[in-house]
Amino acid sequence: MNTKSISQILRTEWFLIGVLLLLTAIEFGVALTLTGALLLLCLLIIGLVKAGLIIQYFMHFGQLWKNITDIWWGILLTSEEEE
Amino acid sequence: MSTHASEITTKLQSLTVNRLGLWLFLVSDASFFVALISSRFFVYGTDTPSEINQFLGLGLTVLLLLSSLTAYRAEAGAESGNRTKMTRNILLTIVIGVIFLVGVGFEWYIALGHEVTWPSKPYGTVLFTLTGVHATHVLTGLLALAVVYFLKRKSIIIGPENSWAVEGAVKYWHLVDVAWVFIYPTLYLVN
Repeated sequence: MNTKSISQILRTEWFLIGVLLLLTAIEFGVALTLTGALLLLCLLIIGLVKAGLIIQYFMHFGQLWKNITDIWWGILLTSEEEE
Repeated sequence: MSTHASEITTKLQSLTVNRLGLWLFLVSDASFFVALISSRFFVYGTDTPSEINQFLGLGLTVLLLLSSLTAYRAEAGAESGNRTKMTRNILLTIVIGVIFLVGVGFEWYIALGHEVTWPSKPYGTVLFTLTGVHATHVLTGLLALAVVYFLKRKSIIIGPENSWAVEGAVKYWHLVDVAWVFIYPTLYLVN
């Protein structure tokens, strides 16, 4: 029996690529049906969502955040030791 | 602290610094793309010539998205110590990247056939500048991946402590993908 949690399934690369391709198809469809400012807004939102998904999951942005907090803790602890 | 533990700590610290350095570079590189993309609206407004091949643009987008998947799987392979998965996916990414470059070349060939998309015309300037700069990034990404492939192909140690080279090249490749996510609607879909 598959014991993967929903969050694990949602994070799998295959699901993510499916969502990205679907968003691209929606983007293409939107460009065929809408015009003007509404089209620009829709394209911007879809682009931001796609970029956000790639940055968060493919590029592990959360890992960077952990690195930054680690460095800050390192700086704080080192300065406390010096004092 | 034992020597081994000290070595691991030093490696982790250098990995942290490497990651931060790479992210700073990626952000600065992305800001260059933001400037170029915004220039499209100043130079040519929100029109798109009908001569632009929509399906070619869509195909190029799908290709780059798929290459992000293979790049991600290569990184996952490197971190889990799975050499076959890593090398196979790096090679796949390189192949898709080369096909993408051929597609961009075809796009240029089509663009040169219509007066409105000549490099001397406003839209042509935007098209050739954006796709040219992006293609240069793709090319450097391919070189980075090729170097990593030849370095790691016969590397003795593969695993989470020795996967920075793959991670760095793959993250750069994802930046190329993110840039195209915005270049595609800017050049092809805005109307």
